Amino acid sequence: MAGMTFSPGMRGQFAAIARVRWQLFVNGLRTIRGRLEAVARGMMFLTFGVAGLGGSLALAVAAWYLISRGNTEWIAILLWLVFLFWQLSPVMASAFTENVDSSNLLRFPLSFPSYFIIRLAYGSLDPSTVIGCLWLLGLTMGIGIAQPGLFLWAAVLLVTFALLNILLARMIFAWVERWLAQRRTREILGAGFFIFIICFQFIGPLMSRYGERRHPEAFRITARVLPYERLLPPGLAATAIASAAEGTFAPALAAFALECAYALSILWLLNIRLRAQYHGENLSEAVGRSSVPREKPAVRLSWRLPGLSGPLAAILEKEIRYLSRSGPMLFTMVMPVVVLLVFRLGPAGSPVREGSFLSHAPDLAFPVGAAYAVLILTNLVYNSFGADAVGMQFYYVSPVRFREIVLGKNLTHALLLACETVMVWLAVCFMFHPPAADVTFATVAGVAFALLLNLTAGNLLSFYTPKKIDYGAFGKQRASTTTVFASLGIQAVVFGLAGVTLLIARAYGQVWLAALIFLSLAGLTSIAYIFVLNQLDRIALDRRDAILSELCRA
Amino acid sequence: MNAPAIATQGLTRRFGQLVAVQDVNLSVAPGQFFGFLGPNGAGKSTTIKMLTGLLAASSGRIQVLGLDLAQSPVEVKRQIGVVPEGMALFGRLTGAEYLNFAGGMYGLDRETAGKRTAELLDFMQLADQPKTLVTDYSHGMQKKLALAAAVIHGPRILFLDEPFEGVDAIASGTLKAMLQRMITRGATIFLTSHVLEIVERLCSHLAIIHRGRLVAQGSLEELRAGVEAQAAAASADSPASDSFGSAPGGKLTLEEIFLRIVGGTRRTEQELSWLG
Repeated sequence: MAGMTFSPGMRGQFAAIARVRWQLFVNGLRTIRGRLEAVARGMMFLTFGVAGLGGSLALAVAAWYLISRGNTEWIAILLWLVFLFWQLSPVMASAFTENVDSSNLLRFPLSFPSYFIIRLAYGSLDPSTVIGCLWLLGLTMGIGIAQPGLFLWAAVLLVTFALLNILLARMIFAWVERWLAQRRTREILGAGFFIFIICFQFIGPLMSRYGERRHPEAFRITARVLPYERLLPPGLAATAIASAAEGTFAPALAAFALECAYALSILWLLNIRLRAQYHGENLSEAVGRSSVPREKPAVRLSWRLPGLSGPLAAILEKEIRYLSRSGPMLFTMVMPVVVLLVFRLGPAGSPVREGSFLSHAPDLAFPVGAAYAVLILTNLVYNSFGADAVGMQFYYVSPVRFREIVLGKNLTHALLLACETVMVWLAVCFMFHPPAADVTFATVAGVAFALLLNLTAGNLLSFYTPKKIDYGAFGKQRASTTTVFASLGIQAVVFGLAGVTLLIARAYGQVWLAALIFLSLAGLTSIAYIFVLNQLDRIALDRRDAILSELCRA
Repeated sequence: MNAPAIATQGLTRRFGQLVAVQDVNLSVAPGQFFGFLGPNGAGKSTTIKMLTGLLAASSGRIQVLGLDLAQSPVEVKRQIGVVPEGMALFGRLTGAEYLNFAGGMYGLDRETAGKRTAELLDFMQLADQPKTLVTDYSHGMQKKLALAAAVIHGPRILFLDEPFEGVDAIASGTLKAMLQRMITRGATIFLTSHVLEIVERLCSHLAIIHRGRLVAQGSLEELRAGVEAQAAAASADSPASDSFGSAPGGKLTLEEIFLRIVGGTRRTEQELSWLG
């Protein structure tokens, strides 16, 4: 990265890219959908801003308290918190920010330093970076107020720490992007990610379960781990602050130097990846015709699905094949059972002892798991054409009505939810106890109502706010922000009505009453569902220009 | 006389203030290999999108095989095959799965769909990649697969938007062979293309659209005769005018006819003088 100076040419290129981004934003506001999306994004940033400022204040108070009390080494906990949030939240939320397509930039005479800076800048304004920076600002302020003489040193250290985090996040993304580019590495990474996320869910329950007990083994392990913790970036930053606070500057400088060495190593790793891209690395798996003639395999027939018309069966098969080839979607499908397991391993560890709320009310385990399954399904039903992308053109030129196409998709979604519900029921039987018949019936009736309401709203939103998504890549399954907000509103209605229903049933001491109310609600919703379904051909025709331009764009 | 396979009356499409296609009256007889030409932005893709139901017409009427597209869209779509600009593929299926899916959507039973899938994959030389997802196919392979999906139900009319764009000579040969076979069996083909040599070799009839208006329609010979007559009249009026013609005694090529009709001019060397 030597010679990183901003020549007039580079400045012109940066200005051109900034202009084009701005122009894209402004052009996006020409349509109502674009304006809605901008409002929804504004609301999202407001939410993140509040989270960032709230956390910043909390960390400032915590830092002030720790420094004032002389517990400077405990700053490490705060820094680890910031570090883990910064690096893990994009992964946990599947929210890798949109990255620039190298091939688009490399057509232009960009120097490597320009390319490097652009790649670093793209995606660095994601929520985790903004929140992380705000939190570190709070920490610095807290330290400065508690011990003004330490402010400047803490500021230098935490700016370095922030830079390290930005570089690390981009470095991880760049390497993950490389591994995701090829099927084999993508599968290995997907499996690793899956195991990691599942393990991560259990940290809290396991800490609560074992944290309060005295375990000599655990103490011994902690004592062994602590010195290594101090050698990692958050530990080093904390050591540098603590040493300076105690007036011992040699260890503080050594820790700072090591911190800088980490940052440089990360920069070097990022540099390797970006340089390969800059030199035109092509990881495409596009195939050509094999030069070696192979024996032609027999073509498999499509699935035999009795009772379904040809188009319905074709859509059902296609939808299931799509889902089965999506690691991220399969991952979300098992989450309801994982969540139950997390509750099961809650502080009490056992349904009969105090702690986890499900241990107090194991009868709620099945409804809770089923509700979570419904929430997961919203990922699919609110943007049901998103993964079809240019395939949407096929639906428009095929002799099948959209009513039938959507029915096929809804059938797939209902089938999935049925499987999920059965899976949750079995998991509840295994982890807690078999749910009572009235609870089971009421839950199934509630799920039917929630499904019908979500399908009704989802079918409309799939036509009004579609967004092209990719089932195959992590973090590329998000619907439009407008859809996300609308679906949150629907969930509020569903859970509000469910809550009122449960209160009524409880007031009368009859769970069966809840089942009856849910069934009545499902009956009413089914009328709305059929009404919307019958309107879909007209809506699809009215909206075809907007839908095709969104789903067929490169 | 047979009813036209495709007919439009006053077909118009506006995008806000812009009139992309204006008052187009097309007539394509059954069994014709029909080429639809025009310069960039002339309205070719807009027209083919309207003919296939991918875009709504602002006004005008479209009849396909005697059926009104707006009144009977499903019946029309049952009898046509389409390879649109974006190819309409489902990237996360294999070639065979996609063709089986297309067969199902066109109402073929699973055995027939399976049999035709195997034959089409074999004909298109795509059978040796059974597990490869469509998204991993090369551009040429995707074009061949899109064409296979468009013909799996044996359509009476085939609409092709730039079928030879980005396709190598081998794949192009396969596509042409399939199209010729369909024509000999009585199907109608409507294609847009920028490759005038291919259009000249394949198409029996042509229409040329320019700035949204249909400026010429007929067989290649009719278009040639029209342009030659115009050129003769122009040279009689003004002997110094540029005849833009071919070599003496030679026939006008489609490119020459096209340039004369759309008023294309060759740029002089003085323009873009900074360019090397």
